[in-house]
Amino acid sequence: MPVNIIVCVKQILDPEIPSRDFRVDAEQREAVRGAANLVTNIFCENALETALQLKEKSGGKITVISYGADSTEDALRKALAMKADAAIHILNDGQAHPDPLSVAQVLAAAIRKLGEFDVVMLGRESGDWGVGQTAGLLAEELGVAAVAFVDKVEIGADGLQLKRQTDVGYERVAATMPLVISITNDEHNVPRIPKTRDVMMSFRQPLTKWTLEDLGVNAAEVRAGNHYYAVVDLFIPVQELNCEFVDGDTLEARVEKFAQRIIEVTGSM
Amino acid sequence: MMNPELATREVFWNIPHSLVWVMYLMFVASMAVAAYGIYRRVQIWRRGLSAKRFDRPLERLKLLLKHSAAQQRTVREKYAAIFHTFIYTGFIVLALATTVVAIEYDLGLPVMQGRFYLYFQSFIVDVFGVLVLIGVGIALYRRAIVKPRKLVYTDEATLILTAIFLMALTGFLVEGWRIGATDEVWGKWSPFGYLLAQASAAMLSRNAMRAAHFGAWWTHAVLVFGFIAWSPFTKMAHVVFAPLNIYTASLRPTGAALKNLDIEKAMESGAPLGVKSLAQFTWKDLADFDACTECGRCTGVCPAHTVGKELSPRDIILDLQKFMHANPRAAFGLPNGNSSNGNSANGGDQAASRKPQAASEALPIIGALAATSPAALWQCTTCGACMEACPVFIEQMPKIVDMRRFLVMEEADFPDTMADAVTSMETRGHPFKGTQSTRVDWTEGLQVQTMAEAKDAEVLFWVGCGGALIERNQKTVRATAQLLHKAGVKFAILGREEKCTGDPARRIGNEFLFEMLAKENTEKLNHYGVKKIITSCPHCFNTFRNEYPQYGGEYEVFHHSEYLAKLVDEGRLAPLEKNDKKITFHDPCYLGRHNGVFDAPRQLVQIAARNAPIEMAQSRENGFCCGGGGGMSFIDEPKDQRVNQERARQILATGADIVAVGCPFCTTMLEDGINARKGDRDVRVMDVAELLWQAVQDSTTNGANKN
Repeated sequence: MPVNIIVCVKQILDPEIPSRDFRVDAEQREAVRGAANLVTNIFCENALETALQLKEKSGGKITVISYGADSTEDALRKALAMKADAAIHILNDGQAHPDPLSVAQVLAAAIRKLGEFDVVMLGRESGDWGVGQTAGLLAEELGVAAVAFVDKVEIGADGLQLKRQTDVGYERVAATMPLVISITNDEHNVPRIPKTRDVMMSFRQPLTKWTLEDLGVNAAEVRAGNHYYAVVDLFIPVQELNCEFVDGDTLEARVEKFAQRIIEVTGSM
Repeated sequence: MMNPELATREVFWNIPHSLVWVMYLMFVASMAVAAYGIYRRVQIWRRGLSAKRFDRPLERLKLLLKHSAAQQRTVREKYAAIFHTFIYTGFIVLALATTVVAIEYDLGLPVMQGRFYLYFQSFIVDVFGVLVLIGVGIALYRRAIVKPRKLVYTDEATLILTAIFLMALTGFLVEGWRIGATDEVWGKWSPFGYLLAQASAAMLSRNAMRAAHFGAWWTHAVLVFGFIAWSPFTKMAHVVFAPLNIYTASLRPTGAALKNLDIEKAMESGAPLGVKSLAQFTWKDLADFDACTECGRCTGVCPAHTVGKELSPRDIILDLQKFMHANPRAAFGLPNGNSSNGNSANGGDQAASRKPQAASEALPIIGALAATSPAALWQCTTCGACMEACPVFIEQMPKIVDMRRFLVMEEADFPDTMADAVTSMETRGHPFKGTQSTRVDWTEGLQVQTMAEAKDAEVLFWVGCGGALIERNQKTVRATAQLLHKAGVKFAILGREEKCTGDPARRIGNEFLFEMLAKENTEKLNHYGVKKIITSCPHCFNTFRNEYPQYGGEYEVFHHSEYLAKLVDEGRLAPLEKNDKKITFHDPCYLGRHNGVFDAPRQLVQIAARNAPIEMAQSRENGFCCGGGGGMSFIDEPKDQRVNQERARQILATGADIVAVGCPFCTTMLEDGINARKGDRDVRVMDVAELLWQAVQDSTTNGANKN
């Protein structure tokens, strides 16, 4: 059964830069790019990998969508190199860091413009802000069900068989399509390395570019953002290292005191 | 006493005139078969891609004299030095003797006369015939008794030795029985033939010797002509192909051995990137397969093979040779001719309908043969020891990289841990994912300017990712910078603008990534007008020196050891205090073997210590890899098959307190290797720059104390 899959990806600052190199602009409440590169958010790549594996088994089509600045084209080209079938770039022309709801609204508009779909896959959260709301909000916008923290997707009798991680283990979910799922990482969805030939070919493939106006959303409202979400402060936590020795006459007394201190210290955190 | 000026012998003595034509017929037939054997191989080579290997004839001739005539590489090995020289020189002398006979008899020029007949045609030929017998004896002894692991034990090899032995033996019988039957007055000039004649005379009558001579003569003739006809179909073909292979060898350092690949062109034509089948090899690669003498030296020196891994350069060459001859057409995607082809898995019909030159349909080689399994290909450190060891100049290592190119670029099939390094080079411009260092951390507290800041830098210090981003190596590049400062060298670094030269990418097989990095780096260097580069990484050094010129990057490149040695020579650095520790030096492959820089780092050891470095058994050209080249730093080796631990063992065996190095990869690989053998003894790993800095610093502080 061919599945029509949409994968939403986000381009972020390389989270692997040395922490010494990481700076924030407290005024703008933004990370300073500095010498860092832009990369595709790892969970988004897990989602794309999951989609590619699903398509390899069931057939179908993968369309990758991203809402971002000009540089986002690189992330989409990479998705094409990994063998996504089509890529759509919705240009973000000035919303500094859009809130999850406005992103969900933009993506939903793009998905509606595309027409039919069976499943939308997103990373469980982004490696920069880590809010983790987009998948749920997108499902809400599209009026379909959402399943979060999925690490395995298989074709079931009449829909998808999903395995999702929970705090205490995992759940198996049978879901009917269409639906939205957020993907978390797992040993089975480590993103593939594209073939060089495909990387080169990806630059010759068509890439659809839409503006907010093309989507028929109220561009001004989107650019203004939603008020439920605001970054109040942004700072790099100061690391403190305190070394403390516990004393006592006997080993038992020292262990007792050691345990006591652990309770006190962790309790105050 | 007879007049020696009149000495000669009758050609075709004891052979009736009516039968002489039979010998000529055999001669022509054997030459025809031999010629066909050579032609057949050359025809197959022509199916390969082009390669320019006939330029600069004078240099090639020099190479031919050194390595084909004088066999400088062959004699590096104890046994071969003796037995191969005996057989080889014996063959030449005996062939000359036969030529003399031909000139005398067929051309009717009286040359086989007088003293020349006695000294050369009798005495020297006799002696060299014995040398052949001794040589074959040693070779047989080695095969039967010594049995070195690197040899290939085939019936063919035994048969060749046996045939040579029998040819030489029957030659002596012919000579001896002729001398015996004719009471040849000059017989003593052929001492061994004479001995044989004496021994035979004790048992045989003259007539019996005459009859035996007749039989031996024809046996000798059949053996010799049979051998000539058979040779081109065996490894004896090296008699022809080894000189050819040496003449057409690469004239560049082995560091420049990797081929250029026109990726754009391959994309357009649909040809595979890298080598998928024999059709993507050059004619020279194919000629390499045929030149192999199965001596096994490449595999014997291969570090991966030494620690028990699967990789065997010898078997790659031999398996591909067999495959090429088993599928002379299908291996190149050519429709099969009349010859039946049992090996064609695709079936004859399909093969016949193929278009000629449809290279992509040629039989794939990776994984199809035991020696070319991806696992084996991913064990090569590209150290080049195989190429250095090969007496006939086969280029094993570049072929491995050619096949890796296909795996990486067409199949995206490479070891998981390598994927991180490749992705990191792509996105971050360095292979060390997760490093917590920046490119300028090591400069803390030093006044090091970047090219963007410096106005009058004479030389660029290219730090390298391994130097800047691995904490251990920051000490080395710091020492280098401090030494340069002290000597008053006006230098600058690129700092955050520096990116990997692409060496690991290229050796892993990602030519596309290498090309991107090469273009970006050369553009940047040319933008700053860089003329001179010092680098403390031999891999960067090799890339600048041998690979960037084709991207428009022409620089004068120094390894830091060369530049520092120069500064000491010029008196700009004055180390006084000497280290009295015992020091050995480990040659980085990309500095030493691949680029011939052996002395500068040793000079620094000598300067910094009281003594010249202790030489390891495998050093200089024969240095043993640390295990970190060719992208292998980014692979998890099996615990019991680690190249660095083997090198650590060799280092510990020298009894040295310090092993001096000149490469950031060697530094970390050897430290790990020595740590793993910590139980044995502790040895410090120190870069030559660190040693020199210590000596220079000591001199200053001690000087200050004395004041």
